Amino acid sequence: MINRTSDSKTSAVIPAAPPETAAVIEVKGLKYTYGRAEAVHDLNLTVKPGRCYGLFGRNGAGKTTTMKCLLNLLRPQGGSVRLFGLDPSRHEVEVKRRIGYVPDYVAFYPWMTVRETLDYLASFRSHWNTETERDLLNRFRLAPDQRTGGLSKGQRTQVALVAAICPEPELLLLDEPTSGLDPIVRREFIETVIGAYQEGDPGKRTILVSTHLITEFEGLIDEFTIVDKGHDVLSLHADAARDRYQKIRARFAHEPPAVEFTGALHVRRQGRELELIANGEGPQIMEVLSRLAPESLTSEGLTLEEVFVATLK
Amino acid sequence: MLLQVNYKSGKPVYLQVVDQIKAAAAAGTLQSGESLPSIRPLAEELRVNRNTIAKAYTELESQGVIETIPGKGCFVRPNNSPLKKDVRRKLLMEELDQVIVQAHHLQVPAGEFLELVRERLGVMEEKQRANQAKEFGA
Repeated sequence: MINRTSDSKTSAVIPAAPPETAAVIEVKGLKYTYGRAEAVHDLNLTVKPGRCYGLFGRNGAGKTTTMKCLLNLLRPQGGSVRLFGLDPSRHEVEVKRRIGYVPDYVAFYPWMTVRETLDYLASFRSHWNTETERDLLNRFRLAPDQRTGGLSKGQRTQVALVAAICPEPELLLLDEPTSGLDPIVRREFIETVIGAYQEGDPGKRTILVSTHLITEFEGLIDEFTIVDKGHDVLSLHADAARDRYQKIRARFAHEPPAVEFTGALHVRRQGRELELIANGEGPQIMEVLSRLAPESLTSEGLTLEEVFVATLK
Repeated sequence: MLLQVNYKSGKPVYLQVVDQIKAAAAAGTLQSGESLPSIRPLAEELRVNRNTIAKAYTELESQGVIETIPGKGCFVRPNNSPLKKDVRRKLLMEELDQVIVQAHHLQVPAGEFLELVRERLGVMEEKQRANQAKEFGA
């Protein structure tokens, strides 16, 4: 394998730090194909500092491939990836110094104890908050002298989270961190991210979580991108999404007239009832329906998971 | 004081927190001088982004509902809004207009609407009386 960073001049010159409001992650037109299967094509993603960003998509949509390109585990075949304004393939150490990562499959050396694993991982870091480590080990009730090979999946994920948070990185990358975990462990995971990680200077605490378990992360997410078949389909702020998408239900005295609704998704009619999902035109649709004198007319917002399903079905 | 977040309400989370704390302060469930949980534990408890709670608290502080005493925490301010009377009236008018539009969509006629307002004012007064009684009874 050719080491493209062997040019000592290039790797020695680290560009000046980008200004405060510059994106932490900037992905433009990303392209990656495995053999003949196009996993990612023309994917765009921007994550600003201090945000908690969700990358949502079905299994096989291209989320993990994207994550791997961010981590320089895969080289993009087209487009560009920048973290902190830097190309992770050319400034790997500089970028990775500032990241904490919890992968979907957590693997440690099974013969190492929890203590040995954390010491080993801490040795790669210039900064490690030992007080946070102590608090988290207590909170998770992890015995330091237990071998990681004997831990449950949830416990290994907890160790991985401790290892990701203690260096107090500027960016936390979470790839399906809670899949396969029981609901209690999942909740503790989220609480720990909010409590221990978000504690620092907000401008230096950015999170990207890639998941299809959206309900758990609903409260944490500020903005998200839905990825489908390798490219970005919808990018919104969470509050804007919950405001824009509304489930409207109406019941009429007789069969409802066949009216065309612009900006309505998934219109369902059954007998005297009508249900649809409004995409931005909620108030206008409510106005039209109320003029048809329905027996009842209600509207409610959608959770992010419901927005996800409505967008992709 | 227990807060609830409803992700189906279409209302931004930080606003839900602001509104619930304001409602509790108005009804006397939260009494003036009473302390509020600090940002981190509240965010953890609700499993909500810490910045969202921070935003809610900033908003509450700018509206004069709560005050932060460095080193001590956040407390409910006694009910004297820093805003002038006509500004307060205007703010309430804007809220009322929104509710009137809602009433129209929900086909609640004006007469019934006013009845409903009287009823809800009564409920609020009850709550305030009950909370005051608790405060003096304790």
